[in-house]
Amino acid sequence: MQTPMPGESGELRLLPPTIGVIVVDGFPVVGAALTLLIEAEPDLKVLASASSARETLEAVRRLSRRSGVVAVVGLNIEGEENSYWLIRRIRDDFPRLPILAIGSNGDPMAVSRALFFGTDGYLHKSAGPEVFLEAIRRTAQREVVLEGLPSDWLVPIAEGIDVQKEWASRLTDREQQVLTVAAQGLTARQIGSRLGVRERTVTTHLSRIYKKLGAEGRVHAIDRAARSGLISLRGQ
Amino acid sequence: MLPMMNERSRTRVLIVDDHPMIRQMVSLACRNHPRMEVVGEASNGAEALELCRRLRPDVLVLDLLIPRLDGIEVARRLQEDGSATRILVLTGADDKASVFEALRVGAAGYGEKTASIEHIVAAIEAVADGTKVFTVEQERQAHEHLGEFARKARDTAKVLASLTPRERDVLGLIAEGLSTRQIANRLRMSERTAETHIGNIYQKLQVKTRLQALYRAAGLGLVTRE
Repeated sequence: MQTPMPGESGELRLLPPTIGVIVVDGFPVVGAALTLLIEAEPDLKVLASASSARETLEAVRRLSRRSGVVAVVGLNIEGEENSYWLIRRIRDDFPRLPILAIGSNGDPMAVSRALFFGTDGYLHKSAGPEVFLEAIRRTAQREVVLEGLPSDWLVPIAEGIDVQKEWASRLTDREQQVLTVAAQGLTARQIGSRLGVRERTVTTHLSRIYKKLGAEGRVHAIDRAARSGLISLRGQ
Repeated sequence: MLPMMNERSRTRVLIVDDHPMIRQMVSLACRNHPRMEVVGEASNGAEALELCRRLRPDVLVLDLLIPRLDGIEVARRLQEDGSATRILVLTGADDKASVFEALRVGAAGYGEKTASIEHIVAAIEAVADGTKVFTVEQERQAHEHLGEFARKARDTAKVLASLTPRERDVLGLIAEGLSTRQIANRLRMSERTAETHIGNIYQKLQVKTRLQALYRAAGLGLVTRE
Protein backbone atom coordinates (compact mmCIF):
# COMPACT_ATOMS: atom_id res chain seq x y z
CA MET A 1 0.00 0.00 0.00
CA GLN A 2 1.20 3.45 -0.78
CA THR A 3 1.26 5.98 1.97
CA PRO A 4 -1.14 8.79 1.30
CA MET A 5 0.44 12.22 1.24
CA PRO A 6 -0.22 14.20 4.37
CA GLY A 7 -2.29 17.30 3.94
CA GLU A 8 -5.30 18.89 5.48
CA SER A 9 -7.26 19.00 2.30
CA GLY A 10 -7.23 15.24 2.01
CA GLU A 11 -7.21 15.80 -1.73
CA LEU A 12 -3.79 14.45 -2.49
CA ARG A 13 -4.02 10.90 -3.68
CA LEU A 14 -1.56 8.59 -5.28
CA LEU A 15 -3.86 5.84 -6.44
CA PRO A 16 -6.11 6.23 -9.44
CA PRO A 17 -9.04 8.05 -7.94
CA THR A 18 -12.24 6.29 -7.06
CA ILE A 19 -15.36 8.29 -7.70
CA GLY A 20 -17.32 8.77 -4.50
CA VAL A 21 -21.08 8.90 -4.90
CA ILE A 22 -23.76 10.44 -2.70
CA VAL A 23 -27.00 8.69 -3.54
CA VAL A 24 -30.20 10.64 -2.96
CA ASP A 25 -33.70 9.43 -3.69
CA GLY A 26 -37.03 10.14 -2.05
CA PHE A 27 -37.69 6.41 -1.94
CA PRO A 28 -35.14 4.59 0.23
CA VAL A 29 -35.72 1.35 -1.68
CA VAL A 30 -34.69 3.02 -4.92
CA GLY A 31 -31.67 4.50 -3.16
CA ALA A 32 -30.69 1.03 -1.91
CA ALA A 33 -31.02 -0.45 -5.39
CA LEU A 34 -28.88 2.29 -6.92
CA THR A 35 -26.31 1.76 -4.17
CA LEU A 36 -26.05 -1.95 -4.99
CA LEU A 37 -25.58 -1.17 -8.63
CA ILE A 38 -22.88 1.42 -7.98
CA GLU A 39 -21.01 -0.65 -5.39
CA ALA A 40 -20.58 -3.46 -7.89
CA GLU A 41 -18.23 -1.23 -9.88
CA PRO A 42 -14.57 -1.20 -8.86
CA ASP A 43 -14.08 2.49 -9.58
CA LEU A 44 -17.24 3.75 -7.87
CA LYS A 45 -18.02 3.88 -4.18
CA VAL A 46 -21.13 5.04 -2.35
CA LEU A 47 -20.07 7.41 0.42
CA ALA A 48 -23.50 8.32 1.68
CA SER A 49 -27.13 7.66 0.96
CA ALA A 50 -30.02 9.96 1.83
CA SER A 51 -33.74 10.30 1.27
CA SER A 52 -34.28 13.89 2.35
CA ALA A 53 -32.73 17.26 1.58
CA ARG A 54 -31.47 17.74 5.15
CA GLU A 55 -29.71 14.40 5.28
CA THR A 56 -28.17 15.11 1.92
CA LEU A 57 -26.83 18.52 2.89
CA GLU A 58 -25.33 17.01 6.01
CA ALA A 59 -23.56 14.35 3.95
CA VAL A 60 -22.39 16.87 1.38
CA ARG A 61 -20.99 19.08 4.11
CA ARG A 62 -19.24 16.16 5.76
CA LEU A 63 -17.66 15.14 2.45
CA SER A 64 -16.99 18.62 1.17
CA ARG A 65 -13.24 18.31 1.49
CA ARG A 66 -13.05 15.20 -0.58
CA SER A 67 -12.49 15.45 -4.28
CA GLY A 68 -13.96 13.19 -6.92
CA VAL A 69 -17.43 13.16 -5.40
CA VAL A 70 -20.67 13.15 -7.40
CA ALA A 71 -24.19 13.62 -6.06
CA VAL A 72 -26.87 11.55 -7.78
CA VAL A 73 -30.17 13.21 -6.93
CA GLY A 74 -33.61 11.77 -7.60
CA LEU A 75 -36.15 14.46 -8.40
CA ASN A 76 -38.86 12.85 -6.31
CA ILE A 77 -38.30 14.52 -2.94
CA GLU A 78 -41.46 16.52 -2.30
CA GLY A 79 -42.46 19.41 -0.12
CA GLU A 80 -40.90 22.66 0.87
CA GLU A 81 -37.37 21.29 0.87
CA ASN A 82 -37.83 19.30 -2.29
CA SER A 83 -35.26 18.01 -4.76
CA TYR A 84 -35.05 21.33 -6.60
CA TRP A 85 -34.54 23.26 -3.39
CA LEU A 86 -31.79 20.80 -2.51
CA ILE A 87 -30.12 21.21 -5.90
CA ARG A 88 -30.17 24.97 -5.52
CA ARG A 89 -28.65 24.73 -2.05
CA ILE A 90 -25.88 22.42 -3.18
CA ARG A 91 -25.16 24.62 -6.18
CA ASP A 92 -24.98 27.76 -4.02
CA ASP A 93 -22.99 26.32 -1.14
CA PHE A 94 -20.83 23.75 -2.94
CA PRO A 95 -20.43 25.07 -6.47
CA ARG A 96 -17.85 22.47 -7.38
CA LEU A 97 -19.81 19.36 -6.52
CA PRO A 98 -21.15 17.79 -9.74
CA ILE A 99 -24.82 16.80 -9.60
CA LEU A 100 -26.55 14.24 -11.77
CA ALA A 101 -30.33 14.42 -11.55
CA ILE A 102 -32.39 11.32 -12.20
CA GLY A 103 -36.08 11.50 -12.92
CA SER A 104 -38.96 9.71 -14.54
CA ASN A 105 -40.85 12.76 -15.66
CA GLY A 106 -42.19 12.73 -19.20
CA ASP A 107 -42.06 16.50 -19.46
CA PRO A 108 -39.12 18.52 -20.80
CA MET A 109 -39.89 21.24 -18.24
CA ALA A 110 -38.70 18.93 -15.44
CA VAL A 111 -35.34 18.72 -17.20
CA SER A 112 -35.25 22.48 -17.76
CA ARG A 113 -35.98 23.02 -14.14
CA ALA A 114 -33.31 20.62 -12.92
CA LEU A 115 -30.69 22.22 -15.15
CA PHE A 116 -31.77 25.71 -14.25
CA PHE A 117 -31.61 24.94 -10.54
CA GLY A 118 -28.09 23.68 -11.01
CA THR A 119 -27.65 20.04 -11.96
CA ASP A 120 -24.90 19.18 -14.39
CA GLY A 121 -26.94 16.53 -16.12
CA TYR A 122 -30.19 14.64 -16.27
CA LEU A 123 -30.72 10.94 -16.68
CA HIS A 124 -34.13 9.52 -17.36
CA LYS A 125 -34.89 6.49 -15.24
CA SER A 126 -35.65 4.49 -18.34
CA ALA A 127 -31.92 4.44 -19.16
CA GLY A 128 -30.16 1.10 -18.65
CA PRO A 129 -27.73 0.35 -15.77
CA GLU A 130 -24.62 0.72 -17.95
CA VAL A 131 -25.77 4.11 -19.15
CA PHE A 132 -26.47 5.12 -15.56
CA LEU A 133 -23.00 4.09 -14.35
CA GLU A 134 -21.31 5.73 -17.30
CA ALA A 135 -23.33 8.88 -16.64
CA ILE A 136 -21.89 9.03 -13.11
CA ARG A 137 -18.35 8.79 -14.48
CA ARG A 138 -19.01 11.43 -17.10
CA THR A 139 -20.61 13.73 -14.55
CA ALA A 140 -17.51 13.36 -12.38
CA GLN A 141 -15.59 14.76 -15.36
CA ARG A 142 -18.05 17.67 -15.40
CA GLU A 143 -19.54 16.60 -18.67
CA VAL A 144 -23.14 17.59 -19.32
CA VAL A 145 -24.98 14.30 -19.45
CA LEU A 146 -28.45 14.07 -20.89
CA GLU A 147 -29.52 10.48 -21.35
CA GLY A 148 -32.73 8.67 -22.00
CA LEU A 149 -34.36 11.76 -23.53
CA PRO A 150 -35.82 12.14 -27.01
CA SER A 151 -33.35 14.09 -29.15
CA ASP A 152 -36.01 16.57 -30.18
CA TRP A 153 -36.31 17.72 -26.58
CA LEU A 154 -33.36 20.04 -26.86
CA VAL A 155 -35.47 22.94 -28.09
CA PRO A 156 -38.27 22.60 -25.51
CA ILE A 157 -35.68 22.15 -22.75
CA ALA A 158 -33.93 25.36 -23.82
CA GLU A 159 -37.27 27.15 -23.99
CA GLY A 160 -38.13 25.84 -20.54
CA ILE A 161 -34.87 27.25 -19.18
CA ASP A 162 -35.83 30.64 -20.63
CA VAL A 163 -39.22 30.41 -18.90
CA GLN A 164 -37.53 29.54 -15.62
CA LYS A 165 -35.19 32.46 -16.03
CA GLU A 166 -38.01 34.82 -16.79
CA TRP A 167 -39.95 33.86 -13.68
CA ALA A 168 -37.00 33.52 -11.38
CA SER A 169 -35.72 36.92 -12.39
CA ARG A 170 -38.93 38.42 -11.16
CA LEU A 171 -38.87 36.94 -7.67
CA THR A 172 -36.07 36.97 -5.13
CA ASP A 173 -35.12 33.70 -3.44
CA ARG A 174 -37.00 34.77 -0.33
CA GLU A 175 -40.11 35.58 -2.32
CA GLN A 176 -39.93 32.22 -4.06
CA GLN A 177 -39.65 30.56 -0.69
CA VAL A 178 -42.66 32.46 0.67
CA LEU A 179 -44.67 31.52 -2.39
CA THR A 180 -43.69 27.85 -2.07
CA VAL A 181 -44.88 27.77 1.53
CA ALA A 182 -47.99 29.77 0.67
CA ALA A 183 -48.81 27.11 -1.93
CA GLN A 184 -49.35 24.68 0.92
CA GLY A 185 -52.39 26.68 1.98
CA LEU A 186 -50.99 28.18 5.16
CA THR A 187 -52.11 31.51 6.62
CA ALA A 188 -49.72 34.44 6.68
CA ARG A 189 -49.14 33.85 10.36
CA GLN A 190 -48.36 30.18 9.80
CA ILE A 191 -46.03 31.05 6.95
CA GLY A 192 -44.32 33.53 9.24
CA SER A 193 -43.70 31.05 11.98
CA ARG A 194 -42.52 28.47 9.47
CA LEU A 195 -39.96 30.86 8.03
CA GLY A 196 -39.17 32.61 11.30
CA VAL A 197 -40.44 36.04 10.30
CA ARG A 198 -43.33 38.25 11.41
CA GLU A 199 -46.78 37.96 9.89
CA ARG A 200 -46.49 41.52 8.66
CA THR A 201 -43.32 40.70 6.74
CA VAL A 202 -45.10 37.79 5.08
CA THR A 203 -48.00 39.93 3.90
CA THR A 204 -45.56 42.48 2.53
CA HIS A 205 -43.75 39.71 0.64
CA LEU A 206 -47.02 38.32 -0.67
CA SER A 207 -48.32 41.62 -1.98
CA ARG A 208 -45.01 42.27 -3.69
CA ILE A 209 -45.14 38.80 -5.24
CA TYR A 210 -48.68 39.38 -6.56
CA LYS A 211 -47.57 42.63 -8.07
CA LYS A 212 -44.51 41.14 -9.70
CA LEU A 213 -46.43 38.22 -11.13
CA GLY A 214 -49.34 40.36 -12.19
CA ALA A 215 -51.62 38.16 -10.11
CA GLU A 216 -54.81 39.19 -8.39
CA GLY A 217 -54.40 37.13 -5.29
CA ARG A 218 -52.83 34.12 -3.75
CA VAL A 219 -54.61 31.41 -5.73
CA HIS A 220 -53.93 33.23 -8.97
CA ALA A 221 -50.26 33.73 -8.12
CA ILE A 222 -49.78 30.09 -7.10
CA ASP A 223 -51.55 28.90 -10.21
CA ARG A 224 -49.35 30.99 -12.46
CA ALA A 225 -46.18 30.01 -10.66
CA ALA A 226 -47.06 26.32 -10.68
CA ARG A 227 -47.93 26.31 -14.36
CA SER A 228 -44.60 27.85 -15.23
CA GLY A 229 -42.74 25.35 -13.09
CA LEU A 230 -41.45 28.04 -10.76
CA ILE A 231 -42.84 26.13 -7.80
CA SER A 232 -44.11 22.61 -7.61
CA LEU A 233 -47.26 21.73 -5.75
CA ARG A 234 -47.24 18.88 -3.31
CA GLY A 235 -48.35 15.59 -4.75
CA GLN A 236 -47.50 16.49 -8.31
CA MET B 1 -49.20 30.22 -46.90
CA LEU B 2 -49.88 27.41 -49.31
CA PRO B 3 -47.57 24.45 -49.50
CA MET B 4 -45.84 24.61 -52.80
CA MET B 5 -43.87 21.42 -52.57
CA ASN B 6 -44.62 19.23 -55.45
CA GLU B 7 -42.89 15.88 -55.09
CA ARG B 8 -41.60 15.83 -58.63
CA SER B 9 -40.63 19.47 -58.71
CA ARG B 10 -37.09 20.68 -58.45
CA THR B 11 -35.57 21.79 -55.18
CA ARG B 12 -35.28 25.57 -55.15
CA VAL B 13 -32.16 26.73 -53.35
CA LEU B 14 -31.10 30.13 -52.03
CA ILE B 15 -27.42 30.51 -51.15
CA VAL B 16 -26.17 32.95 -48.52
CA ASP B 17 -22.50 33.55 -47.84
CA ASP B 18 -20.35 36.65 -47.78
CA HIS B 19 -17.58 34.86 -49.65
CA PRO B 20 -18.23 34.85 -53.41
CA MET B 21 -16.09 31.74 -53.83
CA ILE B 22 -18.23 29.66 -51.53
CA ARG B 23 -21.41 30.93 -53.18
CA GLN B 24 -20.09 30.09 -56.62
CA MET B 25 -18.92 26.68 -55.58
CA VAL B 26 -22.23 25.67 -54.00
CA SER B 27 -24.16 27.30 -56.80
CA LEU B 28 -22.23 25.44 -59.47
CA ALA B 29 -22.73 22.13 -57.71
CA CYS B 30 -26.47 22.75 -57.42
CA ARG B 31 -26.76 23.77 -61.07
CA ASN B 32 -25.10 20.54 -62.08
CA HIS B 33 -27.64 18.58 -60.09
CA PRO B 34 -30.64 17.44 -62.16
CA ARG B 35 -33.21 18.17 -59.48
CA MET B 36 -31.90 21.45 -58.06
CA GLU B 37 -32.36 24.99 -59.09
CA VAL B 38 -30.56 28.02 -57.63
CA VAL B 39 -33.12 30.79 -57.25
CA GLY B 40 -30.84 33.39 -55.71
CA GLU B 41 -27.72 34.36 -53.82
CA ALA B 42 -27.13 36.83 -51.03
CA SER B 43 -24.01 38.11 -49.31
CA ASN B 44 -25.47 39.49 -46.08
CA GLY B 45 -28.22 38.76 -43.59
CA ALA B 46 -30.61 41.56 -44.44
CA GLU B 47 -30.53 40.66 -48.12
CA ALA B 48 -30.92 36.99 -47.27
CA LEU B 49 -34.04 37.66 -45.23
CA GLU B 50 -35.53 39.84 -47.94
CA LEU B 51 -34.84 37.32 -50.72
CA CYS B 52 -36.02 34.39 -48.67
CA ARG B 53 -39.31 36.08 -47.86
CA ARG B 54 -39.83 36.97 -51.50
CA LEU B 55 -38.64 33.80 -53.24
CA ARG B 56 -39.68 31.22 -50.64
CA PRO B 57 -37.00 28.69 -51.58
CA ASP B 58 -37.25 25.07 -50.46
CA VAL B 59 -33.77 25.19 -48.97
CA LEU B 60 -31.75 28.09 -47.63
CA VAL B 61 -28.02 27.41 -47.46
CA LEU B 62 -26.98 29.79 -44.73
CA ASP B 63 -23.61 30.94 -43.48
CA LEU B 64 -23.61 32.12 -39.85
CA LEU B 65 -20.91 34.78 -39.82
CA ILE B 66 -22.34 37.25 -42.30
CA PRO B 67 -22.65 41.03 -42.11
CA ARG B 68 -25.73 43.10 -41.23
CA LEU B 69 -27.72 40.30 -39.60
CA ASP B 70 -25.98 37.16 -38.50
CA GLY B 71 -27.22 33.81 -39.76
CA ILE B 72 -28.83 32.79 -36.48
CA GLU B 73 -30.84 35.99 -36.45
CA VAL B 74 -31.96 35.43 -40.05
CA ALA B 75 -33.12 31.93 -39.11
CA ARG B 76 -34.87 33.21 -36.00
CA ARG B 77 -36.84 35.77 -37.99
CA LEU B 78 -37.81 33.22 -40.62
CA GLN B 79 -38.96 30.94 -37.83
CA GLU B 80 -41.09 33.76 -36.44
CA ASP B 81 -42.59 34.25 -39.90
CA GLY B 82 -43.60 30.61 -39.88
CA SER B 83 -41.51 30.15 -43.01
CA ALA B 84 -41.60 26.70 -44.63
CA THR B 85 -38.07 27.07 -46.01
CA ARG B 86 -35.70 24.47 -44.59
CA ILE B 87 -32.39 25.82 -43.46
CA LEU B 88 -29.05 24.15 -43.95
CA VAL B 89 -26.40 26.00 -41.98
CA LEU B 90 -23.08 25.95 -43.79
CA THR B 91 -20.37 27.52 -41.71
CA GLY B 92 -16.79 27.55 -40.59
CA ALA B 93 -17.93 27.91 -36.97
CA ASP B 94 -18.12 24.56 -35.25
CA ASP B 95 -18.34 25.74 -31.65
CA LYS B 96 -20.95 24.35 -29.27
CA ALA B 97 -22.88 27.58 -28.99
CA SER B 98 -23.35 27.88 -32.76
CA VAL B 99 -24.63 24.32 -33.13
CA PHE B 100 -26.93 24.83 -30.16
CA GLU B 101 -28.31 28.09 -31.51
CA ALA B 102 -28.81 26.58 -34.96
CA LEU B 103 -30.88 23.76 -33.48
CA ARG B 104 -32.82 26.23 -31.39
CA VAL B 105 -33.85 28.36 -34.31
CA GLY B 106 -35.05 25.28 -36.13
CA ALA B 107 -32.25 24.69 -38.63
CA ALA B 108 -32.72 21.38 -40.44
CA GLY B 109 -29.04 20.69 -40.81
CA TYR B 110 -25.56 21.82 -39.95
CA GLY B 111 -22.72 21.46 -42.40
CA GLU B 112 -19.17 22.57 -42.08
CA LYS B 113 -17.32 24.34 -44.86
CA THR B 114 -14.52 21.83 -44.56
CA ALA B 115 -16.87 19.17 -45.99
CA SER B 116 -16.55 18.10 -49.61
CA ILE B 117 -18.90 19.63 -52.13
CA GLU B 118 -20.52 16.20 -52.67
CA HIS B 119 -21.33 16.09 -48.98
CA ILE B 120 -22.80 19.56 -49.08
CA VAL B 121 -25.01 18.72 -52.04
CA ALA B 122 -26.10 15.48 -50.34
CA ALA B 123 -26.96 17.54 -47.24
CA ILE B 124 -29.08 19.94 -49.31
CA GLU B 125 -30.92 16.97 -50.81
CA ALA B 126 -31.47 15.38 -47.41
CA VAL B 127 -32.73 18.61 -45.89
CA ALA B 128 -35.08 19.11 -48.85
CA ASP B 129 -36.47 15.62 -48.21
CA GLY B 130 -37.21 16.53 -44.62
CA THR B 131 -34.29 14.74 -43.01
CA LYS B 132 -32.43 16.39 -40.16
CA VAL B 133 -28.74 16.61 -40.89
CA PHE B 134 -26.87 16.79 -37.58
CA THR B 135 -24.07 14.44 -36.66
CA VAL B 136 -24.04 12.60 -33.33
CA GLU B 137 -21.08 14.74 -32.35
CA GLN B 138 -22.98 17.93 -33.14
CA GLU B 139 -25.94 16.81 -31.05
CA ARG B 140 -23.58 16.04 -28.21
CA GLN B 141 -22.06 19.51 -28.51
CA ALA B 142 -25.50 21.08 -28.41
CA HIS B 143 -26.40 19.11 -25.28
CA GLU B 144 -23.19 20.13 -23.68
CA HIS B 145 -23.98 23.74 -24.35
CA LEU B 146 -27.31 23.31 -22.58
CA GLY B 147 -25.37 23.15 -19.32
CA GLU B 148 -23.69 26.48 -20.00
CA PHE B 149 -26.97 27.93 -21.20
CA ALA B 150 -28.66 26.93 -17.92
CA ARG B 151 -25.80 28.32 -15.86
CA LYS B 152 -25.99 31.65 -17.61
CA ALA B 153 -29.77 31.76 -17.22
CA ARG B 154 -29.37 31.09 -13.51
CA ASP B 155 -26.78 33.85 -13.06
CA THR B 156 -28.90 36.31 -15.02
CA ALA B 157 -32.02 35.50 -13.03
CA LYS B 158 -30.14 35.91 -9.78
CA VAL B 159 -28.82 39.33 -10.68
CA LEU B 160 -32.12 40.46 -12.16
CA ALA B 161 -34.09 39.32 -9.14
CA SER B 162 -31.79 41.38 -6.96
CA LEU B 163 -32.42 44.56 -8.98
CA THR B 164 -35.45 46.68 -8.18
CA PRO B 165 -37.68 47.65 -11.13
CA ARG B 166 -36.21 51.15 -10.89
CA GLU B 167 -32.66 49.85 -11.00
CA ARG B 168 -33.53 47.82 -14.08
CA ASP B 169 -34.73 51.00 -15.79
CA VAL B 170 -31.52 52.75 -14.86
CA LEU B 171 -29.39 49.84 -16.11
CA GLY B 172 -31.25 49.92 -19.40
CA LEU B 173 -30.39 53.59 -19.81
CA ILE B 174 -26.75 53.03 -18.83
CA ALA B 175 -26.72 50.48 -21.63
CA GLU B 176 -28.02 53.11 -24.03
CA GLY B 177 -24.99 55.18 -23.13
CA LEU B 178 -26.77 57.94 -21.24
CA SER B 179 -24.92 60.07 -18.70
CA THR B 180 -26.04 60.25 -15.09
CA ARG B 181 -27.68 63.61 -15.75
CA GLN B 182 -29.50 62.30 -18.80
CA ILE B 183 -30.68 59.26 -16.86
CA ALA B 184 -31.97 61.54 -14.10
CA ASN B 185 -33.84 63.68 -16.63
CA ARG B 186 -35.31 60.74 -18.45
CA LEU B 187 -36.59 59.11 -15.27
CA ARG B 188 -37.58 62.41 -13.64
CA MET B 189 -35.42 62.03 -10.60
CA SER B 190 -32.64 64.09 -9.07
CA GLU B 191 -29.08 63.43 -10.17
CA ARG B 192 -28.35 62.45 -6.61
CA THR B 193 -31.01 59.74 -6.72
CA ALA B 194 -29.74 58.48 -10.07
CA GLU B 195 -26.25 58.29 -8.61
CA THR B 196 -27.53 56.26 -5.69
CA HIS B 197 -29.27 53.84 -8.05
CA ILE B 198 -26.15 53.50 -10.15
CA GLY B 199 -24.08 52.84 -7.03
CA ASN B 200 -26.48 50.12 -5.96
CA ILE B 201 -26.42 48.54 -9.41
CA TYR B 202 -22.61 48.48 -9.39
CA GLN B 203 -22.68 46.77 -6.05
CA LYS B 204 -25.14 44.14 -7.22
CA LEU B 205 -23.25 43.49 -10.43
CA GLN B 206 -20.01 43.50 -8.42
CA VAL B 207 -18.32 46.08 -10.63
CA LYS B 208 -16.65 49.42 -10.07
CA THR B 209 -16.98 51.34 -13.33
CA ARG B 210 -19.64 52.02 -15.89
CA LEU B 211 -17.73 50.15 -18.56
CA GLN B 212 -17.43 47.10 -16.33
CA ALA B 213 -21.13 47.35 -15.58
CA LEU B 214 -21.88 47.34 -19.28
CA TYR B 215 -19.71 44.33 -19.99
CA ARG B 216 -21.12 42.44 -17.06
CA ALA B 217 -24.68 43.28 -18.05
CA ALA B 218 -24.01 42.24 -21.64
CA GLY B 219 -22.34 39.04 -20.50
CA LEU B 220 -25.42 38.19 -18.48
CA GLY B 221 -27.62 38.98 -21.43
CA LEU B 222 -29.32 41.81 -19.55
CA VAL B 223 -28.65 44.25 -22.33
CA THR B 224 -28.01 43.45 -25.96
CA ARG B 225 -25.08 44.76 -27.90
CA GLU B 226 -26.25 45.93 -31.27
